[in-house]
Amino acid sequence: MPNIFQTVPLIHFVYLSALLFCIGVVGVLIRRNAIIIFMSIELMLNSVNLLLVAFSAYRQDPPGQIFVFFIMAVAAAEVAVGLAIIIMIYRNIRTVDINELSRLKG
Amino acid sequence: MNLLISLTALGVVAMFGGILKFRSMVMPLSVLGLIGASLLGVYAWNTNQSFLNDMMRMDNYAIAFSIVCMAGTLLTILFFHFFHSENEIHYAEAVALMLFAVAGCAVMVSFTNLLMLFLGIEILSLSLYVLAGLRKKDLLSNESSLKYFLMGAFSTGFLLFGIALLYGATGSFATTQIAYQLGIAGMNGMAAMGLLLLMIGLLFKVAAVPFQFWTPDVYQGAPTIVTAFMATVGKVAAFAAFLRLFQLCFAPSKEGYQLVIGTVAAITMLAGNIMAIYQSSTKRMLAYSSIAHAGYMLIAVMTLNASSNGSILFYSVAYTLASISSFLIVMVVQQNRNNDTADDFNGLGKTNPWIAFALAVSMLSLSGIPATAGFFGKFYVFSSAVSDGFIWVVAVAVISSFISIYYYFRPVIAAYSKQTHDPVMTMPAGTQALLILLSLLTILLGILPGFIAGII
Amino acid sequence: MLLEIKTSATSTAVDYFPIVIQFVFAAGFVATTMFVTHILGPHLKTKKKLKAFESGIKSVGNARQPFAIKYFLTAILFVLFDVEVIFLYPWAVNFLDLGMGGIITMGLFMVLLLIGFFYIIKSGALDWE
Repeated sequence: MPNIFQTVPLIHFVYLSALLFCIGVVGVLIRRNAIIIFMSIELMLNSVNLLLVAFSAYRQDPPGQIFVFFIMAVAAAEVAVGLAIIIMIYRNIRTVDINELSRLKG
Repeated sequence: MNLLISLTALGVVAMFGGILKFRSMVMPLSVLGLIGASLLGVYAWNTNQSFLNDMMRMDNYAIAFSIVCMAGTLLTILFFHFFHSENEIHYAEAVALMLFAVAGCAVMVSFTNLLMLFLGIEILSLSLYVLAGLRKKDLLSNESSLKYFLMGAFSTGFLLFGIALLYGATGSFATTQIAYQLGIAGMNGMAAMGLLLLMIGLLFKVAAVPFQFWTPDVYQGAPTIVTAFMATVGKVAAFAAFLRLFQLCFAPSKEGYQLVIGTVAAITMLAGNIMAIYQSSTKRMLAYSSIAHAGYMLIAVMTLNASSNGSILFYSVAYTLASISSFLIVMVVQQNRNNDTADDFNGLGKTNPWIAFALAVSMLSLSGIPATAGFFGKFYVFSSAVSDGFIWVVAVAVISSFISIYYYFRPVIAAYSKQTHDPVMTMPAGTQALLILLSLLTILLGILPGFIAGII
Repeated sequence: MLLEIKTSATSTAVDYFPIVIQFVFAAGFVATTMFVTHILGPHLKTKKKLKAFESGIKSVGNARQPFAIKYFLTAILFVLFDVEVIFLYPWAVNFLDLGMGGIITMGLFMVLLLIGFFYIIKSGALDWE
């Protein structure tokens, strides 16, 4: 059976997910809104998913896709915890700007 | 595996303690459960069984580190019980989260598949994010929780990208397969990149320079008991997983990255110790000291020879004992004098001689003075590095240990040589006895180190 | 070695030309229709006309109000339980191969989820009032 993934060279997938990953990293480093930082982190995780699926399809090796399932489940748990933390903070200070959170300094 | 199942079940039971109204049972149940789980671990000693299609293996390394983590959790839960106030709404949930975290530790230290490494790290981290925000109305706790969460999730991204690249290069998540494939094909570009990203993710988790910037804030903002938990159990498990990963997958090609880890270790030790000098808050000072200790433990990861496992185990035990008791003493001082600068320790030797004794022993152990466990911890780590020819790293380590003596002794000197008019410190019953027990254990290990060092 | 598997199937820039044309057409169509409707349509700017259309029901208040916290809580819980379903897919695909062991394992997984659900109900997270 011809593998549809193989019509695009694998290295393109690697470049694409590396690019997405870098966008996520830059987003985390330069944005100051907690929700947007959070979205950038999700982007990083999803670029990993893309990469894993690409490798998995290339090698005809299912474990890669199972790993993706686990990443998705864990990411959902992270979303739950993260949003809960952000809501907790929003209740106390009415903002999600992390610059407002600088009480802890040496 | 029985160990892991019982820990999880225990966590589930403890979780319901609050809402099903058997709160007073939670502490005894968890203590008994943790002791039982440790006995299950001891029972499985030398069996070397694999579970879940060879995704995890309960070898002696895994069991030893699981037991260390469980002992740390046991102490934390006891102290949490002593110090919790009656209106602590989420008492049972906090205990349950600690139990889930230690279940994560057990997964982390017994993995033979990168999937299990990832899951273990996440189970531990997710529990810790919530625990750091335990005081919902306290802004410092909120901030600590958010920072820890964002940085933890960020580092998970690096870890995962590293795993994905490694999978691309070797075609498997199993450590045996990865080691085998790397043995045949050698480190190609993709595998090296994967290793680098994996290393960045793990260095984040163990708080090594230059990825340490979140640590002081998180450790200072979190409730002290949670800080003690993060700094001991969390760190020990992270190091055990770090070392296990490198032993299982990358040991043959260690020449390629030893210099990197050695440099990181040297910078971490120096930066952690020098920054610690400038802290007025003792809790924050201990946070920097934990960064410095990450540096010492990284030396064992760098050396990666036959004695690394034993030396890091001993170091973990010594560090856990001393750290938990010093955080506890900081907590007692905070509660009685509303602050934790070195001046708040004034006269402790007169008012509370036993607490001052425990403080002195734990600080001596953290700085690595002979006749305490900390000395042999450092001795084992350094001597195996020297025998592999890493004299320069050890030289840096020794110099930074001397620097550390200065700030570790500050509260001790204040306790013994300065006067105070403050009243005798009060603390919950049992605290003092446990602190003395921890100090005696520290001294015992400092006199008879062979007891633990040769075990794995 | 892995990266060389399919380098023979590389495509040249010309192969992407139809896609470019499609993009041009799509963008052009949108731009044209938006422009043309502005020109052709009648211009009645009354207050009622400028209001948001909500299927004939009178619109109330400003849409950009903060949601009540309870929506977030429910949404978070939904996400958690929703995503766990993905573990059912690989099991469903291999249902016959896994047999009784698979059913027991999945049952255990579901029981664990249900314990969590029980905790949520008991702790009152789903009480709307």
